Amino acid sequence: MSDEVGSAAETEADSEPVDESPTLYERWRQIHDNESTVAALTILGVALAPFVLVTLPTQLGLPSEYSWYHNLLTLTLIWGIFALGYDLLLGFTGLLSFGHAIFWGTSAYAAGIFSANVTGSPLAMILVGTLTAVLMAWIIGWISLRRGGIYFAILTLAFGQMIYYIFLSPLGDITGGENGFTGVQVGSLFGVVDLGRAVPFVPEAFVDSWMYVFVGAAMILSVVVGYRILNSPYGAVLRAIRENEQRAEFVGLNVWRYKLMAFILSGAFAGLAGSLYVIQRSFVPIENTLNWTVSGDIVVITVLGGVGSLFGPVFGAGLYMYVANIVSGMPVIGEFWHMILGIVFIAVVATMPHGIWGRVDWLRDRVADAIGGDER
Amino acid sequence: MSLLELDAVDSYYGQSHILRDVSMRVEEGEICALLGRNGAGKTTTLRSIAGARPPEVRTGRITYKDRDITDMETEDISVLGISHVPEERRVFANLTVEENLHLADVVKNRSNTWGRDLDFEHEGQSIEQILEDFPRLSERQQQMAGTLSGGEQQMLAIARALKQSTDLLMLDEPYEGLAPQIIETVEGAIERIRDEGTTVLLVEQNAVAAMKIADRCYVIDQGSVVFEGPAEELRNDEETRERYLGV
Repeated sequence: MSDEVGSAAETEADSEPVDESPTLYERWRQIHDNESTVAALTILGVALAPFVLVTLPTQLGLPSEYSWYHNLLTLTLIWGIFALGYDLLLGFTGLLSFGHAIFWGTSAYAAGIFSANVTGSPLAMILVGTLTAVLMAWIIGWISLRRGGIYFAILTLAFGQMIYYIFLSPLGDITGGENGFTGVQVGSLFGVVDLGRAVPFVPEAFVDSWMYVFVGAAMILSVVVGYRILNSPYGAVLRAIRENEQRAEFVGLNVWRYKLMAFILSGAFAGLAGSLYVIQRSFVPIENTLNWTVSGDIVVITVLGGVGSLFGPVFGAGLYMYVANIVSGMPVIGEFWHMILGIVFIAVVATMPHGIWGRVDWLRDRVADAIGGDER
Repeated sequence: MSLLELDAVDSYYGQSHILRDVSMRVEEGEICALLGRNGAGKTTTLRSIAGARPPEVRTGRITYKDRDITDMETEDISVLGISHVPEERRVFANLTVEENLHLADVVKNRSNTWGRDLDFEHEGQSIEQILEDFPRLSERQQQMAGTLSGGEQQMLAIARALKQSTDLLMLDEPYEGLAPQIIETVEGAIERIRDEGTTVLLVEQNAVAAMKIADRCYVIDQGSVVFEGPAEELRNDEETRERYLGV
């Protein structure tokens, strides 16, 4: 009954089968959210980002200290993967974790230590890092998920601090303690491709190194996997749990088990990102991996980008990285970058309840309206 | 043997004693109505059966198909075939109609039931069968459930229950907030599923409407059962109706 317009239009179409070809709007409806479109947009975005964000602004005359640089872009993608996984938990399952530094950090250490002692193959490092994160998520989720809401958040925070201090001191001989782990030895991909090298035949204006290609590929893979998860019946279960846990139980779903699975999946994304972080930096700094501030950063990034969207957190990572790395280097205001980040955060939360991506979505709907649809 | 039996159940919300010595039974293949005023304990009874906590069942026994379910987990009770459709928003508003129905398939997955000592007695209805029975839903498969009208949401909740292997459907205030014309449609659906073999336990404040389709009725007041008998008998028992239902 709420959609009388739609049904009236259908009956009209039935009675006069003249115009069979789909309108622009119908075509848009068909493709705008399917997997190939999402994958294609991600590939396009990853491929064009260096040119649009690094090369173009400099050519247009923006002082280079205000513009993006290649390593920052790679770092953004890495944090984007982390945030994408975090949003599976916060945005789609409704669980606020304050301990995600654990998965990001332990995977970084595992990948780093593995590279120093066994092999520096980037793929092997990722495998070891991600598996470590999954194992940690399994154990910590198994315990923390017995409580909900604020108790869950505090439990994860407590575990985060515990792991931080264990790595800082008792395990100091292995982890390097306060200095971080410095022995990382990143090898070449498949034994032939040195990630630091430039990509042949591609102008530097577009891609500067194999590292970006490698991280970009991981980003695309993460988006596709994330999309699959969210659009499977499994994703529907997670959204059902976010909406009302008890009602999901009435339906017969073992809510606890699904929450644990979401927690582990989210940990796996964090593990992938943490391993990539070490591969990029060739160093494991404890303050940027296991410190509780990382757990806070990922919440801020996800909220900035838009909780409950697939792409939003990646944009949040971009904004955060820009403020943290470029605004912080600006004269005079640079010193106040934490405060600026806070103001940006308040502004985004106050004016865009669904984050940056919420605005993008709103724009997409307006475009759909303009080409003849009726989105809302 | 009755399908469901409550034997001297006492339920509490914290310190408050809500259900007092409630005994009732639901027979296979009937529509059983549980009536009473606001706050009489109707919803608490359904929640006690469904295993929702709170309330806490401190004494008494609830058996379903000869199996003691008093202390079982909510989701396990649901898998055994008792489908509870709670009051107010009964569907997952942020899921499409189709996804709401597909949740029932996930429930049957091994990943969901693994490690739980549960068996599905039957498959539940197929999605085609359901959409045939509820044509409105088949037009709206891709729509968010939250954008459906109240009556359509109620239909979707019932349809989802049927898609699971439900033997006992518990409906809490299914007519609440619906227009009289829509109530008739929902009534028709409830009677149809009874005729197809699913037992229904109906909780309603709208006693007149409930008595119309019920086979047997219970009236509950201040947490105790004050009337039990065929709907016919309650319709003729003016004193009980006046005193406990105000109709």
